[in-house]
Amino acid sequence: MPEPIIETVALRKTYGDVEALRGLTLQVQAGSICGFLGRNGAGKTTTLKILLGMMRPTSGEARVFGRRADDSTASVEIRRDVAFVGEDKPLFDYMTVSEMVRFTAAFYPRWRRDLERHYLGIFGLSPAVKVKTLSRGMRTGLAVLLALCRDARLLILDEPTSGLDPAVSEQVLQALVSHVASAEMTVFFSSHHIAEVEQIADRVVMIDRGRATVAAALDDLREQYRRIRFVFDDDAPAVPVFRAEGVERVSRDGRVLTVLASGGAERIVEEARPLGPVSIDVIPVSLKEIFLESSGVEG
Amino acid sequence: MDTSFLRPNPSSGVPIYLQLIEQVKHAIETGALRAGEQLPGIRPLAERLVINPNTVAKAYRELEHEGVIELRHGAGAFVSADRRPRQLTNTMRAGQAIVAATVERLRARGLGEDEIRRLFEAQLAGLPRKGERSA
Amino acid sequence: MLWYKAWLETRWRFLIGLAVLLVFACGAVFDYPAIARLNASVSAIDAPGNLGRLIREAAETQRTYRGFIWFQWYRQNLVQMWTILAVLLGSGGLLAASSRAALFALSMPASRTRVAGVRAATALMELLVLALVPSLLIPLLSPAVGQHYGLGDTAVHSVSLFLAGSVFFSLAFLLSAVFDDFWRPMLITCAVALSQTLVGALVGLPFSGMLRVMSAESYFRSGQVPWVGLGLALTVGLLMLYAAVAVVERRDF
Repeated sequence: MPEPIIETVALRKTYGDVEALRGLTLQVQAGSICGFLGRNGAGKTTTLKILLGMMRPTSGEARVFGRRADDSTASVEIRRDVAFVGEDKPLFDYMTVSEMVRFTAAFYPRWRRDLERHYLGIFGLSPAVKVKTLSRGMRTGLAVLLALCRDARLLILDEPTSGLDPAVSEQVLQALVSHVASAEMTVFFSSHHIAEVEQIADRVVMIDRGRATVAAALDDLREQYRRIRFVFDDDAPAVPVFRAEGVERVSRDGRVLTVLASGGAERIVEEARPLGPVSIDVIPVSLKEIFLESSGVEG
Repeated sequence: MDTSFLRPNPSSGVPIYLQLIEQVKHAIETGALRAGEQLPGIRPLAERLVINPNTVAKAYRELEHEGVIELRHGAGAFVSADRRPRQLTNTMRAGQAIVAATVERLRARGLGEDEIRRLFEAQLAGLPRKGERSA
Repeated sequence: MLWYKAWLETRWRFLIGLAVLLVFACGAVFDYPAIARLNASVSAIDAPGNLGRLIREAAETQRTYRGFIWFQWYRQNLVQMWTILAVLLGSGGLLAASSRAALFALSMPASRTRVAGVRAATALMELLVLALVPSLLIPLLSPAVGQHYGLGDTAVHSVSLFLAGSVFFSLAFLLSAVFDDFWRPMLITCAVALSQTLVGALVGLPFSGMLRVMSAESYFRSGQVPWVGLGLALTVGLLMLYAAVAVVERRDF
């Protein structure tokens, strides 16, 4: 397995008495679009900031392109090949669109003028307009333009489509997809919009209370997670302890026993058959349900 | 053919690459795609449908594995001139007859459309992956 | 581009400050004839105590044109307004400007030291111009009121002000690195500056040492450039800048 583009090992971050990250371990491989899902306050933004050298971890390791993200010199080198779009779309409000472009382009020798023209058009940005007067959609468009035109190997985005109408959202997603279409480009983005993650991501990492809970290819999650419903003639038996692996949660409601499985549905079904259910339903589980389950919300 | 690809449904529970595979096979069956015709490139199709290019690549690889299409290095993806896709069509027609008969029998037992659909979905969802032995 | 960005961040404070100082410089020169006439009658006033002594001293100093310029411009107007500008330019550096802007700058492949350093250097160059250029107006305009003011005096006084007064810039800059807002660095530094200059001048305490160095009083009275005072101020200022950069390098954003 080639070296991951992003890797954290037992990453911890404490501010005062708040433990934002409590031993986060994750990897992101090159050439993938990886969605980073987590509730508010789960530690997503903290993780991204540590990767970019804006914060230093309390303990543990964070690496980008194999280099330590908490080393100041290495971090400057990392940022030569990374584009970051923060949650509030950080930009210099006092500059105009063209000044922002010139400022950013000055740092990236491989600047793509063709993409610049393309995205100025797509997002409807006029060069002479001051950044502080841009609407939310245009501001995001500009931030995305500045990120993509750098020709960076890695894009890191924090909630890129938050607050955007569906049309602009789709344009942003399309821009991200076209970036990865050339090999060796990677996108790592955090989001609350599960549908978008399902649409463009091929891998997903879920974080809850400072730790990684699920890390898998999206297709694997779709093929492995199942909700199995056993209906009995009389009251369902007391919750059995399954020997088969993959049982995430078992619940009982009158004559129905429901098992949430993260894999091995067939073996679980076989193990439960002797209990004599009247019917067995095996149903796919949506990413949203997997997410809610992994962040401890009653599904 | 480019513009007649439908946007896959990411939340349907069916992996997107499988939905694409289905679309290509269906297009071949209905004649929208003919033997020897070129499919859209991976990157343009991913951009048009706003899905991950890896997903398109996976679908194309699977289709090539099944012999439905050919991936010609540097030139693109083309529908196979092979016999095999036509065999698939025959199998599909036979399958359609089986399904029609089964649905009729279930209706005769008093089951409604939704119930019949649920039975099929549950059966498919519970089935082991292709190549594994059924439990 | 970091220089251009720093210019954009500071330009209005700089330009407005420059305009105001130019106007006051003109005012100082053209006020002379009227003040000269007033002074003639002031020395006759017999006011009691400390206040009276101060008034008489002021009148004495301003008998000559050179004294007048020193008292009005280098010891009052310029010092006060320039110090305010030094504090304004020092506040809201890399960070307080808006944390949104800070995050963008931090995501660029430039070290924090470089970004903060360029910001400090730009502001300091602007402060030098603010000390020198309006002061140069004085020798330029003095002939219009039939007077003469030396370029040498201009150079010594304005550069002394810049070197000594940059301490306040550095303090504001350091506080901006520590606090995240614009107001606290500004208010704290203003308080320190006030206690150093105005209060000290009135009460005649050792505090007024800072004001004496900034206005190069020893040079005015006896041609002695206040090397020690300037050296001390420069050292303290540089140490604070160094500390500011160290803080910026280490802190979380």
